[in-house]
Amino acid sequence: MKLHGFIKDLLIALILAGLLGGPIDILAEEKIQDWELINPEGVVKIEIMKLTPHPSRLEGKTIMLRSNGKHNGDKFLIRVGELLKDKVKDIKIIYSWEVAPETVDPITGSHERSKKFAKKLASFKPDLVIASQAD
Amino acid sequence: MDQLELEKLGIPTVTISTTEFASLARDTAFGQGAEPSFVVVPHPMGMISLAEIRKKAESVFPEILKAATEWQPVVKPTLLAKLAYPAERLKLRGTVGNINAIFFSRGLSFGIPIIPPTPELVGEMLKGTSRRPEEVVGRVPPRMGGLTIELVATHAVMAGCKPSYMPLLIAALEALLDPIANWRGVTTTTATSAAMVIVNGPIVKEIGLASGQGAAGKMHHANASIGYAINLTLGIVGGSKPPTPDKSILGGPADFVCWIFGENEDKLPAGWKPFHVDRGFKESDSVVTVMGIYPPVDNIDHWSITPEEHVNWWGHLVTPLLSIGGPCWITQMEQPHIIGLGPEHAQLVAGAGWTKDQFRKALWEKARIPFSAWPKGCPNTDLFLKKFGEVTPDTLVPFTFKPEDLNVIIAGGYGKHSHFFAPFPGCFPVSRIVQK
Repeated sequence: MKLHGFIKDLLIALILAGLLGGPIDILAEEKIQDWELINPEGVVKIEIMKLTPHPSRLEGKTIMLRSNGKHNGDKFLIRVGELLKDKVKDIKIIYSWEVAPETVDPITGSHERSKKFAKKLASFKPDLVIASQAD
Repeated sequence: MDQLELEKLGIPTVTISTTEFASLARDTAFGQGAEPSFVVVPHPMGMISLAEIRKKAESVFPEILKAATEWQPVVKPTLLAKLAYPAERLKLRGTVGNINAIFFSRGLSFGIPIIPPTPELVGEMLKGTSRRPEEVVGRVPPRMGGLTIELVATHAVMAGCKPSYMPLLIAALEALLDPIANWRGVTTTTATSAAMVIVNGPIVKEIGLASGQGAAGKMHHANASIGYAINLTLGIVGGSKPPTPDKSILGGPADFVCWIFGENEDKLPAGWKPFHVDRGFKESDSVVTVMGIYPPVDNIDHWSITPEEHVNWWGHLVTPLLSIGGPCWITQMEQPHIIGLGPEHAQLVAGAGWTKDQFRKALWEKARIPFSAWPKGCPNTDLFLKKFGEVTPDTLVPFTFKPEDLNVIIAGGYGKHSHFFAPFPGCFPVSRIVQK
């Protein structure tokens, strides 16, 4: 009976301690100390990639519309293509999925495949690529 | 991001992204040193009607036009943070509990307990490898954080590893950072994907890595702590945290401790070689093989008494999974898949005199869906037709282009279960010899 009472008292004490101070405070004997620790995050060094200037006008230019194959990406770009043709004179539109279906891939997976796709798309000599990620 | 490769070829780009994925796209580009032109569209673009998607295109068209003709790149100097080695030292005060709370609040842990990584403990951990602490293992996507051996040891301490685990941990991380392992994809996708680590050779017994009953589960110190250390290292140094850039819609326990187990070489049927030997290594080599996977599927078969019956059930079991193959991402049809045969199922197959090759060919023949099951509008249909020529709606399509892409391993202990591990798109298995 005595043991039972002790367990009951202990449980009450633990519940009260939990309510008042949280579980860490129950182990209040743990010592506060000064620590020197290694920061596990590591550092980032980024070499800036040179990006290509955009054309100031689209008249007479070849624009490639690129879909990665995710749902509706092509539909979105088809409408963009229609609007471009309406608004811009002598514009040529190329749909990537028509001329290079092998580049339709929502998850390219590696730089090597990205390079291969880019080389293929670049072979159509677009002046600008508008790409939809969709999702 | 493929557009960055176009930029490298001198072709300007505009990328359309949805509100939910804009920060991931920007972070991904920034990790590669680029801040390209983006136009953001309200989420979602997928699974809405034709009228809705056309309306979205119209609503952002002025922005697209502006980005196409007015956006210009800004030249910035190289961004250099700090020296990678030695890593920064943090001066903190408090209890172990306080340190855990501080680490979590700063994004330096996952929210489950870590052991504070003091220089003394990290120094002890480094005794487990002959590699120098300043050696660079690689850059971890998506943040492209620099990973040194010192940092590997730091995470090993945090996860409770023993120094003897270091060679395996290093080999696994090197394999996962190989570009063909596609860790960037695994850790930033919306899918419930994770790393799987299969270990072969003497190292399994040397360090006490579990390879039998419940090997990938609880109560196995080496598996649990190495699996935790792998994920901590990749998650913290790579900076992949939900809700972005880790976009997994649900996530799962393998985000804490990855799938890791030894192949059960003791239960290999007579004449069957271990997985690493299949992959061209010597039997005496200690080898780690990694692959990004979807959650595995449990094949429960208590009833088959012939290999034919068993393969028939396998075929019907994995056929629904073909939805994650060709029809969705055709690249998966070119990727190796892994069949983790339980020892009893392996014995059923091998006991009838079948080789691994016979098993995989029989399964490849059986696990097919008719071409008519491919969803209408699936962009991969055209690619498939280009590869195989004309097919009829009744043509049965396998889930890989060739049976050799079904890798067979012996996984786990007694019981009538096996497991099917489908690769995440773009992930290929990568093997590394464990070097001490």
